[in-house]
Amino acid sequence: MSLLEVKNLKKIYNTRFSGTPVQALSNVSFTVEKGEYIAIMGESGSGKTTLLNILAALDKPTKGDVQLNGKSILSINEKEISSFRRDNLGFVFQDFNLLDTFSIQDNIFLPLVLMGKTYEEMSNRLNPIAKSLEIVDILMKFPYEVSGGQKQRTAIARALITEPQLILADEPTGALDSRASEGLLKIFSQINQEGQTILMVTHSTKAASNAKRVLFIRDGEVFHQLYKASNSNYEMYQKISDTLTMIATGGARDE
Amino acid sequence: MSKSFYTKLAFNNIKKNLKNYIPYILTCVGTIMMFYNMCYLTNAKDLGNVSDSATLRYLLFLGTIITGIFAVIFLFYTNSFLIKQRKKEFGLFNILGMEKRHIAKIMFLETLFISIISLAVGILGGIVLSKLMALLLFKLINFNVVFGFEISINAVVITIGLFSAIFIVNLVYNILQIHMSNPIELLRGGNVGEKEPKTKYLSAVVGVISLGIGYYLALTTKSPLEALTNFFVAVMFVILGTYNLFNAGSIALLKYLRKNKNYYYKTNHFISVSGMIYRMKQNAAGLANICILSTAVIVTLSTTVSLYVGMEDVLRTRYPSNIIVSGSDISDIEAEKIEGIINEQTTKANFHKENIDRLRDISFLTLQDDANFILMNEENYSNKNGAILEFMTLDDYNQMENKNASLEKEEVLVYELHGKIIGDTISLNDYELNIKERLSSFKYEDNGSVLSNSYFIVVDSLEGIQQVYKALEVEKDMPELSFYYGFDVDADSETQINLTTSLRNAVNNLDLGLRVEGAEISRTEFYTLYGGLFFLGLFIGLLFIMATVLIIYYKQIAEGFDDKDRFEIMQKVGMSHTEIKKSIHSQVLTVFFLPLVTAIIHIAFAFNIITKMLSIFNLSNISLFAICTAVTILVFAFFYAIVYSLTARTYYKIVS
Repeated sequence: MSLLEVKNLKKIYNTRFSGTPVQALSNVSFTVEKGEYIAIMGESGSGKTTLLNILAALDKPTKGDVQLNGKSILSINEKEISSFRRDNLGFVFQDFNLLDTFSIQDNIFLPLVLMGKTYEEMSNRLNPIAKSLEIVDILMKFPYEVSGGQKQRTAIARALITEPQLILADEPTGALDSRASEGLLKIFSQINQEGQTILMVTHSTKAASNAKRVLFIRDGEVFHQLYKASNSNYEMYQKISDTLTMIATGGARDE
Repeated sequence: MSKSFYTKLAFNNIKKNLKNYIPYILTCVGTIMMFYNMCYLTNAKDLGNVSDSATLRYLLFLGTIITGIFAVIFLFYTNSFLIKQRKKEFGLFNILGMEKRHIAKIMFLETLFISIISLAVGILGGIVLSKLMALLLFKLINFNVVFGFEISINAVVITIGLFSAIFIVNLVYNILQIHMSNPIELLRGGNVGEKEPKTKYLSAVVGVISLGIGYYLALTTKSPLEALTNFFVAVMFVILGTYNLFNAGSIALLKYLRKNKNYYYKTNHFISVSGMIYRMKQNAAGLANICILSTAVIVTLSTTVSLYVGMEDVLRTRYPSNIIVSGSDISDIEAEKIEGIINEQTTKANFHKENIDRLRDISFLTLQDDANFILMNEENYSNKNGAILEFMTLDDYNQMENKNASLEKEEVLVYELHGKIIGDTISLNDYELNIKERLSSFKYEDNGSVLSNSYFIVVDSLEGIQQVYKALEVEKDMPELSFYYGFDVDADSETQINLTTSLRNAVNNLDLGLRVEGAEISRTEFYTLYGGLFFLGLFIGLLFIMATVLIIYYKQIAEGFDDKDRFEIMQKVGMSHTEIKKSIHSQVLTVFFLPLVTAIIHIAFAFNIITKMLSIFNLSNISLFAICTAVTILVFAFFYAIVYSLTARTYYKIVS
């Protein structure tokens, strides 16, 4: 059984002002196996964010189904959706979404506190993560006192600490400089090797070239996909670039 | 760019910011209305007909000044809040190519619109309301006169002058604010990376100490006159303490809570404690303001209400009998004459005297040291060791109380009205008197002073009193005893007033400097004073409530915008709607009711000193004051809760 199964997703927005409905997703299907590292690419307006919101249970599709471990997440009622989200999913956002009111450590603890864990357990879980993400020294600092890269690593720690089934990342390198981006991608590869499933939405060819599989979305559909297999990052980068060029110039529909 | 462009832009700006501007305009209108009314009443012609109009005018004048000062502070405060919220907007204008002088022009037009609207509505509303206000005032002071509708040009001019000045100063302040900052700063506006506040231990300690001093003063004040001086000192200390405590104490406490891991890492505490630490820096002053305003409202209202409600009590305390004739240095023969006149007058008017109080005594203002008394050199009634000794003869005492007590030479009966005499002897310089008996009741205790220690002492004879006089005064010759004669008559108010007046005329012929007073004849004066005070209390209470409401409202809006992003993030991280609501609720509730609870604690500590002060106004009915305070607190809390729910709703709307 696949970890995540996305079946025929369709999403139509009815905007309040213009009468014409906007179709964000027309028919998206794919599956994610445990331990995979997937990048989803597409231009602005291709429906990436809509897809991610549906996977994160923040939004509901007009049609279709999303199953995590064989259970439809659409069937979860409003009351349980939040706890479902924090028990099963980890989020990494473009703008970090850290809270200024909390220290770095408390930001990481936030989902665990919501789960009602004791301080001891939280602290036990944090230690190895903080070490591997190299944020031990800044744990007592506040978000406005640390760099962008450190903020993003904090966000990753927050996502990892719940030991989620799946990490959803939305443009994680979007607000970082090239060095911090590289560091982040290294961390992603590393945690993926340790068995963490990751699904990342990105614009960046460089970021995508780190993933094991890249899905391309165009006009609300999965248009194409690439497997990294034994390719190096550089070869993968080339392939992705070619595909993007092809999409942009409206080339053939398949390889 | 054409002229109408700016006008349009200014107009649209106000429209766009209605959420902020409606309360601002309402505040302006409210303060203008109130100020106009105070001004109007101070100047009102009809007031001249009130018997004690000078006192009343003075009270109202005081009210005008307070309202004026208040208006200045208050409108500054709200304006500075508004401009902070709008900096971003002006930054955008700036970046889009508008020069600062253009922005200044827009600001000028905005201010012009707002001031014209506020002044027009405020003064018109004030004029409409003024009739009602005058009616209320006259009703409170028990003054039944139908009077015409009056518009005080004076008041209108003063009001327009004051508020135009306030608006102009605000405008200048705003323009300077914009002028001194660059567009990037403007764009960032309110949210410049806020640092976590540091714990200010010194400030916290100062807060605790000054609050302690304030409370200590309030609790230990014993005599009413001491209360008068102590009260303001205590108020200052409590204000200082409140500000410091809200500023530093709250942060210290919250940080302590955060250190306690078992408490802190619970869903509810986690978010609210961290949120409050973060916001205490900017909110402490606001919370302290609300706390002090609330305290002021409750104190003002409860005291003035209880004075007004307790007026009959007060009259009875002040005038134990319906009609009182009194004087000093009256010989026995003169006393007989006076009594003759009193009898003659009452018989002539066909009244029967009831509850006759007759007292012949002589009193000294002394300094007490346990059982030793020496004469006080100056008349300082507020001296803590001051004691009033009133001496009378055994004969008079027996006659008054209908008793048959006997005394040896240098033996006395003592009634301790206020204070204690320790030991069995009283020393007056070198002269010693033995206390034969301490009386448990005394018929004329009403005539004693409530302001300082006070004792009635009965000696064996007139010679005894002369001995006392010699011992205390040393060199002077003793005057005659003082004379007090009070009685009740069973008649209506008007007849009593007539009798008092005719008696006064008759007695004045004797030319002995006698005073003839009566409860009825003084009632109007009392009503003017206490009614006026009550009116002022209501008025100022209302003003403070308005301020409290507005500060709370603005705080909620500002916090709502701040919290919006935070709660969005928390939702993404996996916090449910209900959890968010719960956490908002607990946070807002704490922030909201902390000042009220603190205010109530202040009141509780102030209770003692306020009752002492009220006794200066002859109000000794403590339970009445307690009830008035409790009711005031309840009513205030009720309004507070309404404001809370209204603003909380606005807050939820902004956040979700």
